Amino acid sequence: MPVKRLFVANRGEIAVRILRSAKALGIETVLGVSAADRDTLGAEMADRTVVLGPAAAAKSYLDERLVVHAAKATGCDALHPGYGFLSEKPALATLCEEEGIAFVGPRAETIARLGDKMSARALAQAAGVPCVPGTDHIATLEAAREAAGRLGYPVVMKASAGGGGRGMFRANGPRDLETGFDRASREAEGAFGDPRLYMERFVEAARHVEVQIVGDGHGTVVHFGARDCSVQRRYQKLIEEAPASAMPDALREAMQQAAVDLCAHAHYRNAGTVEFLFDVARGVFYFIEVNSRIQVEHPVSEEITGHDLIALQLRVAGGEGLGLTQDDIRLSGHAIEVRINAEDPARDFAPAPGRITRWAPPAGEGLRLDTHARQGYLVPPFYDSMIGKLIARGDTREQAIDRLLEAIRAFGLDGPRTTLPLAAHILAHPDFRANTITTRWLEEVGLPAFAPPPA
Amino acid sequence: MPAPDDKPAVKPSDIEALIEVFNASDWDEMHIEMDGFELFLSNDPGARLPGPAAPAAPAPAGAPAPVASVPAGPAAPAAAPSGDAGPVPASWVAIDAPNLGTFYRSPKPGAAPYCEVGQVVTEDSELCLIEVMKLFTALRSGVAGTVRRICVPDGAMVEHGQTLFWVEP
Repeated sequence: MPVKRLFVANRGEIAVRILRSAKALGIETVLGVSAADRDTLGAEMADRTVVLGPAAAAKSYLDERLVVHAAKATGCDALHPGYGFLSEKPALATLCEEEGIAFVGPRAETIARLGDKMSARALAQAAGVPCVPGTDHIATLEAAREAAGRLGYPVVMKASAGGGGRGMFRANGPRDLETGFDRASREAEGAFGDPRLYMERFVEAARHVEVQIVGDGHGTVVHFGARDCSVQRRYQKLIEEAPASAMPDALREAMQQAAVDLCAHAHYRNAGTVEFLFDVARGVFYFIEVNSRIQVEHPVSEEITGHDLIALQLRVAGGEGLGLTQDDIRLSGHAIEVRINAEDPARDFAPAPGRITRWAPPAGEGLRLDTHARQGYLVPPFYDSMIGKLIARGDTREQAIDRLLEAIRAFGLDGPRTTLPLAAHILAHPDFRANTITTRWLEEVGLPAFAPPPA
Repeated sequence: MPAPDDKPAVKPSDIEALIEVFNASDWDEMHIEMDGFELFLSNDPGARLPGPAAPAAPAPAGAPAPVASVPAGPAAPAAAPSGDAGPVPASWVAIDAPNLGTFYRSPKPGAAPYCEVGQVVTEDSELCLIEVMKLFTALRSGVAGTVRRICVPDGAMVEHGQTLFWVEP
């Protein structure tokens, strides 16, 4: 049944983004907030706002029982988890299902299967999708040494349950394995309650590329092109663009098809992202993981296809099917997004919460701003530091870069320090313009060449 | 609501007592004036104090005389949560919901409520249950005193920070 009343279980810009699409579809909205987010833009936009709990996310946004109780008590028939927080917790999907609330996401078992990296890898292999040459679970240091000998150093050990770099380390030789193995296992146990590690060949020059897909849950999957998110600092993306134009066309098309095959094999339901590593030297791509949620960087895919991905999520969750085929999705132009984080580049990107005393974003052709910020908004210290995403579209990559750079320079923002000056520095850099960067470029080249503006 | 500069001679309990007297009587109206305090009660919801706004004795500057107009019909709203609306004395303590959930006044359906208006409670007294997805958590008063108001009907959804009870220490 089509969604009638939607519970939005998130905050910040993505809550605003979801509310906007829901309202355009004539869906009633209820927003669940923490006490710290009572007076936000999202709370004003929603038809109804309920305060779940105190500011601490563990007692508000991260409590799936609280969220589902609120959705039920307010008469909602669907729940959108956004990204982060509970979006990839199978427990939330299960609870929604038990209570008869349509979860705007995959089935719980799909989330669990894709969330475990080793089982996701097995799924990819079953669907014929190439993976980074690597191993299954490695239990001992001896097994690790032997596997590394076979794959060839350098190698990288990763936590099966992992993410965000925890339980992960690079080994250039046997000595690195000896010093890192036990510590990584303990770190994985501490962070995820699961000490299992596996090993992959380390790709020296890699680009992070990913395919946006939407599946109907019955084996039909369409893609919305590929994004390139190689500008990263400590595994955190800063700039994302679409299409992934650094890849040869034929290779990119093969990757898009691989993503569709993998998700069709899993009977994937919802919007999702299949992440790949593009090995520049070898000219091949490898599967990394599936993110079973809408992602921060989804706007660049919307901008080059003209489709509303949130609306599609709601459609699929309401059991209405995709309503389109691959032929209905045409890619044109180029779009780039920069994340605006309230962080201080001069203090090693420490979070810089505080009151926004001037908020005068630029307007112009091809520009889009997804944000919950406004003049007078107090960026709270409790959550993620992102306060918005500035997106520029152009007929070409060059035009998109120029528009975005001009927009950043025209952005009037006083109060917290942000990552906007760094974004401008990257966009203006010849390496970025030449589209030759890799995932290590920002830390090795971009940041050392960046002079933060004086306070 | 500005408080009079002087300590009010009339306590909230006095007003309650007066309202009870009026309810028990067969009077149509009651009008009391003393020390800058004025109380007007009527059974007619449309009734107002007779005459223009300026009373015979002008109220102290900056301290408008509080006027309570309480329609006290024979069928008082008994089903509503106990305690009347109106200003809450500064000394009363609000007991707020710690999180969103469903508010229950009794430990189980059909059982007597944990507390009633007028009941004396200790800091450890349980006042209600808050249910989240069939997980019931008892809420303790946290303050010793007398329950003066119960602000939410049984079975209603409450939000974090919403006042459930007023207790007079």
